[in-house]
Amino acid sequence: MVLQTIITGLSIGSIYALMAVGYSLVFSVLNFSNFAHGAIITLGAYIAWAIMVHFFRLPFLPALLLSIVGAGILAFLNERIAYRTLRRRRAPSLYLMISAMGMAIALQNLLYATVGAKLYALPPVFTQDSFEVGGATISRMDLFAFVFSVVAIGLLHFLLMHTKVGTAIRAASHDMEMVAVLGVNLDVLVAVLFLIAGGLGGMAGVFMGVKYMVYPSMGWITNKAYIGAVIGGLGSLPGAIVGGILLGLLEALVSVTTIGSVQLSTYRDVFSFGILAILLIVRPTGLFGRFVEEKL
Amino acid sequence: MAYAQAIFTNSAIYIIAAMGLAIFTGYTGLFSLGHAAFMAVGAYTAAILTYFYHWPLLPALLVGMIVSVLVSVVVGYPTLRAKLRSDYFAIATLGFGEALKVVLENLDLTQGARGLPGIQKLADPVNTAVWMVLTIWLCRNFLRSTYGRKIIAIGQDPVAAEMIGIRLLPNQMLSLAISAACAGLSGGLLAHYITFIQPAIFSMDLSSLLTAGVVCGGMGSLTGPFVATALFVVVPELFRGLALWRLVLYGVLLVVIMNLRPKGLFGHEELSLSNLPKLFMMVGLTAGLTIGAGFYKDYVQEWGEIPAWLLAAAVTLGATLAISYLGHGLAWLLRPALPRLGAVWNRHVTGFVRVLGGRKTQTAPVIAPPSPDPPVPLDQPLLRIRGLSKRFGGVIAVDDVDLEVWPGQVVGLIGPNGSGKTTLFNLMSGVYPVDSGSVLFGGRELAGQPPTSIVLGGISRTFQNIRLFPSMTVLENVQTALHRAGDYGLLAALVQWPWTVWATEERLRNGALELLDLLELRAHADRVAGTLPYGLQRKLEIARALALQPTLLLLDEPAAGMNPRESLELVALLRRVHQRRHLTIILIEHHMDVVMNLCERITVLNFGKKIAEGTPGEIQANPLVLEAYLGDTVEHVAIR
Repeated sequence: MVLQTIITGLSIGSIYALMAVGYSLVFSVLNFSNFAHGAIITLGAYIAWAIMVHFFRLPFLPALLLSIVGAGILAFLNERIAYRTLRRRRAPSLYLMISAMGMAIALQNLLYATVGAKLYALPPVFTQDSFEVGGATISRMDLFAFVFSVVAIGLLHFLLMHTKVGTAIRAASHDMEMVAVLGVNLDVLVAVLFLIAGGLGGMAGVFMGVKYMVYPSMGWITNKAYIGAVIGGLGSLPGAIVGGILLGLLEALVSVTTIGSVQLSTYRDVFSFGILAILLIVRPTGLFGRFVEEKL
Repeated sequence: MAYAQAIFTNSAIYIIAAMGLAIFTGYTGLFSLGHAAFMAVGAYTAAILTYFYHWPLLPALLVGMIVSVLVSVVVGYPTLRAKLRSDYFAIATLGFGEALKVVLENLDLTQGARGLPGIQKLADPVNTAVWMVLTIWLCRNFLRSTYGRKIIAIGQDPVAAEMIGIRLLPNQMLSLAISAACAGLSGGLLAHYITFIQPAIFSMDLSSLLTAGVVCGGMGSLTGPFVATALFVVVPELFRGLALWRLVLYGVLLVVIMNLRPKGLFGHEELSLSNLPKLFMMVGLTAGLTIGAGFYKDYVQEWGEIPAWLLAAAVTLGATLAISYLGHGLAWLLRPALPRLGAVWNRHVTGFVRVLGGRKTQTAPVIAPPSPDPPVPLDQPLLRIRGLSKRFGGVIAVDDVDLEVWPGQVVGLIGPNGSGKTTLFNLMSGVYPVDSGSVLFGGRELAGQPPTSIVLGGISRTFQNIRLFPSMTVLENVQTALHRAGDYGLLAALVQWPWTVWATEERLRNGALELLDLLELRAHADRVAGTLPYGLQRKLEIARALALQPTLLLLDEPAAGMNPRESLELVALLRRVHQRRHLTIILIEHHMDVVMNLCERITVLNFGKKIAEGTPGEIQANPLVLEAYLGDTVEHVAIR
């Protein structure tokens, strides 16, 4: 029972982490919460659906790859359309946040208006769907998603720590102006940033689509990933991962708990936001966040 | 006709909520994505009272508003106290909205997701319109009072607001509470108009509508959100085919507005002669579309699709143009007449109030006239700093500094860049917590006190990087700082009770003008502060600091960016201010002519340590200072 809960928690937590990394990456450099990330993730899932079910009936792996690329490009376009002007004008981060909110609302409802509110299932990826370890059931898909997420985050870590672009991104997270002065093309840097964030988001979207369903408001779940990122401390990658997985585990725990006759799973979302509220009050910078003091 | 009435009532209901959101989000810059939840609280409370307990509408609405305010206090206190950045605040309110929805879906009293059907239809266009007008009037009054100015100030620059003694938490909570009351009222009316409520109505989409209305209409205005919300409700109602695309449109509009016109339609503007035509054009467009759609419906059967559409388009265009030109005409007519109307109003109404309320009108000036007696005992230092230290990580910004300032002195604080001068100010004024040491001010320990209580205790300051309230006028900047003298109650402020509020406001105005006179800014009183040239902005900051009637004034590089002539004028001005008001001044400055001219004692800091102290003559001759301050090439630089 405990093992099962941990496994459930890890499987959803790793997806949260994948999405939370996208929020954190953008936040670390541009210092605003990219609320459109959820819509990009949703669109990533829809790309997989279109490729696997609606149009081509391609197998899973190429579909996953195309979703990653497609979501990356969408995130890049999103930046071009909604943030670039503001970024260049050095607008306050509030403006960027509103623009992101606008993008999120527009994209999600664009799906409602065009594809419709129907729920679509992605075809099962593995025939033998699950296996047992020590009395706990592990779905192959969950395992696959977990491994894939870990690999992706590992790759991202490598990219950030050992490549030129990664170094530039890390430097920009401390001082964007300075990086620009040193001759780094900020537009390219931000483009790379959004491609990565979008790609990871697309991947997470596909995993979610397989695990649950594909529907326009599935981006709602990304709010939880955002909570994960905030718990870890927005702008910190390890924070996003720890926060995402922690939230997944806690939610799994809550889902199997009952107090009296009340099943807490009904209140799972309330619980997540409750954690967020408490954390923000106790430690507004999250577990790993840095606090930037304003110069007077 | 019934159709037009329905559209009108719907817009009026949403406008009430939008006014509330404008007061909160528009002025404080904090985004609430949970405003639909406050509407839900009001709606359910009022509906349950009329539905199960058969209360009449008015008390039910009022109780709904009260419950909504209580909920806002419970939600707002912890979140606002934590001073969350706006992203976090937005997600916290979003969470509140969702949590409330889950609760409503699982409570027996609210009948879960099925909702409450068959609520009595107690709201109609007439009483809704009355509520709307009342709400707008109250909101406008609120914003024009001391309370409103405090909230506007916080939205424009929270640090500067704290530095003129405005406490953030209570004022932000007040703004949230008023906002929640409006949302609660709006929800209550909605429930009794559509007669059926369920949790799903009060979703993110509704919050988005309100947010889009406030942002597109213009943050920092009531007129803008009014117009935008009306338009946002009316347009999709008319074009039913648009219903699905409605939210897409809001989203796109948010992006477009932020990128092209971040201030929205009416950012920081209220209705005035100059934007009357704009308002009429928007109203004209809204009305034109409504009328056009009506024509289309009436004639599409008879005439067929295309002619009816053409007719509708023509009617829309005609109505829009007619109403916009009406606006132009009205503005043209009013332009010469308005000053005269104002004069008539002043003569009769103000006079009437004065006669009726004669005794109650206070005439005491806001700024106490300079008295011959010094305000503090002269035989002990006004400020005594002992062993003050502050470190930032590994850097020791202020290192064991002692400083004594006697009443009436003008003390200069100089030192190379990064020597800890501004940090010392920040420690004295409570912006940074003190690591160790003590700051005694008139015998009172300041270390550990919140900035607002330090300011109200008699230390006010200016900033190295100017921190005015940029969208307020010059006069309003100073008036805001006079908030302690605006001592009327909230209720009086809401109804603008002539006998207390008008009189007090006039005193505040006169007090502010007096200060502007002192700093030679009166000619610019009605200009928007952000548009002033640099030197005048610095002067305005001094005026604002003086409005708090400090005993100790901290000036952080008042002459920065001024040429020699301007800085000499500033010296004369500061000298005048100093003598007139029994001030004690500590001055950080790099212009040596200013420091040497003005200060009787000078303290020199270097790398956070005090390296010298003395009269200007002593400092000029001190080799340590010359070395630290000027390097070793003394002969190239002259201290005047």
